Amino acid sequence: MKKDTARTLWNDGTKTVVASLLSILMGVIFGGVLLFVVALCLKMPLSSAWEGFRIVLGGVFNTGRNYDAGSALTFGINARLIGDMLFRATPLIMTGLSVALAYKTGLFNIGAPGQYLMGTAMSIIVALAIDTSVVPAFLVWILAFLAAIAAGALWGCIPGLFKAYLNVNEVITSIMTNWIAANLVTLLFDGSRFINNVDFGKTGYTLKTATNGVATAKLGLDFGGGNANAGFLIAIVFAAAAYIVINKTTFGYELRACGSNKNAARYAGMNEKRNIVLSMAIAGGLSAAGAALYFLQGDVEFYWHTSMALPATGFNGIPVALLASCSPIGCIFSGMFMAYLTISGSQLSTFTAYNEYIANIIIAVIVYLSAFTLFFKGLMSAKKKTITVKSEDAKSKAGEEMKRK
Amino acid sequence: MADNYVVEMLNITKVFPGIVANDNITLQLKRGEIHALLGENGAGKSTLMSVLFGLYQPEQGEIRIDGKRVEIRDPNDANTLHIGMVHQHFKLVECFTVLDNIILGVEPNKLGFLQKKEARKKVVALSEKYGLLVDPDALVEDITVGMQQRTEILKMLYRDNEILIFDEPTAVLTPQEIHELMQIMKSLAAEGKSILFITHKLNEIMEVCDRCSVLRKGKYIGTVDIAGTSKEELSRMMVGRDVKFAVDKAPAQPKETVLKVSGLTVPSKLHHNNAVKDVSFEVRRGEIVCIAGIDGNGQTEFVYALSGLEKASAGKIELCGRDISRSTIRQRAEAGMSHIPEDRHKHGLVLDFPLEDNLVLQRYMDPRFQKGGFIQREPIRAYAEDLIGRFDIRSGQGPVTPVRSMSGGNQQKAIIAREIDLNADLLIAVQPTRGLDVGAIEYIHSQIVGQRDLGKAVLLVSLELDEVMNLSDRILVMYEGEIVGELDPKTTTVEELGLYMAGAKRNKGKEASAS
Repeated sequence: MKKDTARTLWNDGTKTVVASLLSILMGVIFGGVLLFVVALCLKMPLSSAWEGFRIVLGGVFNTGRNYDAGSALTFGINARLIGDMLFRATPLIMTGLSVALAYKTGLFNIGAPGQYLMGTAMSIIVALAIDTSVVPAFLVWILAFLAAIAAGALWGCIPGLFKAYLNVNEVITSIMTNWIAANLVTLLFDGSRFINNVDFGKTGYTLKTATNGVATAKLGLDFGGGNANAGFLIAIVFAAAAYIVINKTTFGYELRACGSNKNAARYAGMNEKRNIVLSMAIAGGLSAAGAALYFLQGDVEFYWHTSMALPATGFNGIPVALLASCSPIGCIFSGMFMAYLTISGSQLSTFTAYNEYIANIIIAVIVYLSAFTLFFKGLMSAKKKTITVKSEDAKSKAGEEMKRK
Repeated sequence: MADNYVVEMLNITKVFPGIVANDNITLQLKRGEIHALLGENGAGKSTLMSVLFGLYQPEQGEIRIDGKRVEIRDPNDANTLHIGMVHQHFKLVECFTVLDNIILGVEPNKLGFLQKKEARKKVVALSEKYGLLVDPDALVEDITVGMQQRTEILKMLYRDNEILIFDEPTAVLTPQEIHELMQIMKSLAAEGKSILFITHKLNEIMEVCDRCSVLRKGKYIGTVDIAGTSKEELSRMMVGRDVKFAVDKAPAQPKETVLKVSGLTVPSKLHHNNAVKDVSFEVRRGEIVCIAGIDGNGQTEFVYALSGLEKASAGKIELCGRDISRSTIRQRAEAGMSHIPEDRHKHGLVLDFPLEDNLVLQRYMDPRFQKGGFIQREPIRAYAEDLIGRFDIRSGQGPVTPVRSMSGGNQQKAIIAREIDLNADLLIAVQPTRGLDVGAIEYIHSQIVGQRDLGKAVLLVSLELDEVMNLSDRILVMYEGEIVGELDPKTTTVEELGLYMAGAKRNKGKEASAS
């Protein structure tokens, strides 16, 4: 019987992964078709579309063009791009975790961009405001990181409180807090000249945190001159921690029970209101931590005119989580994959006449299809049932049948 | 002889992975007969009806309507073959009138404009012909459950259905309404309609049916003429062994008070009045007190207030001498309350969780099951295995079975195992046997009596008259949120109980005290 169980679970896990891969495959095919359509419309040679497609697939393994051999694209290990991918994946993994964790509690955290912004602002302010000649830089780093988490948690709390105590849908309040954050952040930096970078008449940019000596340790991850640093490892630690909290602790058990059946959780004496608030607070903290890991890298300037646009990294937490079927460990891979595509996009505009928006469209299609993950899973189960009547997968269907009797 | 059958389901086999839901089942329905389909939960009745309705395609066997072989691919095919069904949970639009509901989907129209006049004529004619009293212009949400059911029946008749399936139609009715339904079914059959009657209730089968087909664990056991059989024989065919109908129990020996409710008032969520009005009573150790009443008379709100799911607006609840009126749900549980909820899917279980996680739903924070906030899988599994063994909970994969895939009876057993094992002083059991078959009912009843005999106080809330009469030591009847009568099951009759439940009689509450 135990073996049986393992097989069912394994099948289910495999199916999830296969369904996600299927979404990715279809997104990439769609992107390829799009490249050819663009080529036809703009009367460009079809070979250029083929090159574009290869760059999209090649992503971080693109090493440029060999101008001695007819400008052919070359592929191989590109350490710098791989490093960049890890760096860009870091905040995506964190916002993905944020959305995934809230989702386990039955909440849709569309507030990740706002939480991310609050984290950004707090980490930069703390990292630049504390004089590193007085306080050691690593301590400032930690303080900035914690301050960011606190700000994000607070920001996530707000929709949580509204949801728990006034039954206001968290999506609506999250959208509002997003824009409040966007304007608040602009307001903050607009009024604080000392952290703004005004070199060469720049406006709207903060100083890099490295100017105060605060930067995430590289730990040898800066291979090939890439931007990767210990932040990526921290994100992995967070993912592992999220997995453990959700699946192995009583707190996670409560969160999952609330998310799966709020009424039963209440009936069993769990404090579902508290759990909703906590879940949103943790989700907020995770998003903000992602922002901190990105900006505390040290060499990034933050463009603070955010009142008009929310950070895409926050919103991209949703597709990262969806593509991972809300599994914390899965978020590591889906976050890296999204970063991979982003890099593909920038390579596309560097080396071909196509721009990076093609990559964005591919991401969009994959995101769209990832919502169909369940549908693909169902399709796979149906297929198997016709092949072998006694397949394991359709057992749930029989179960439902039993239930109805 | 064969041309006499309107429906023939011959040698139907339907296999689901790991289970043969229907194993070579034959069901033949004669014109103008009332044919009972009897079987335990999970015996394959619903699968068989789903096959007849085109929801499933059988692996083997054939369906004949009027002797002709047919393929029923979906419910639309079933409709064209004049097969109609009254579902256990009505499929009515609450904010529509009775007439609108009846014509829904087959609206008579000219150029897209509704032509209700003819429809009304037809509905009125049908309702007079079969004695199906309805007010065509009343809103469904305003009419009684019995009238809603008559609306459902008219819906079938309006569509000229010849083959009528009733899926457990009496579960929600009062004794008087059940009696009326039986009369209606008889008159329908007399008019040549053929009726398939799915039920667990043997009394009803004995009363109206001509023949009865019995299924057990997916197998066809046999078809018998009701005239030549008995309740005992039917139940033996269904369960495969002798079943006791009367609950085996010694007279109650009530001891000290465990639960004391005084002046409890609960506001209604739907209306502006109170759902529960000034209810006071006591439950003592070693007795089963039953709150009887027709669905929707405040029982649900009362239990919510008692268990802490809803707030009471006035009144006091004392458990073992402690005032728990303001306590949280968990505090109440810790004070000695366990609760088998009315709706096992809404409150009782987290369907997506495995069985073992559901069995520790209130106890996951026990030091036994967690250390420093980390769930201890091993003890939970061992505990689950123990409960599964002791309470005979059957599931495909033991402790790790997703509860969603378990049968209703076993889901209920899981809840009962969990609540009984809490070993609380007070057991609140709300509709503990709803939708279960006689075998499971017998088991659950014996468990509840066992708890009483162990000196627990049991508060039973039930809509089933048999259960009320058989199980309880004292009956409190709730009508429109008030306790209108206290009855002794040994000296009262079902008819009298029915009168109290319908509000026609009272020996407690305002009017009684005024007189």
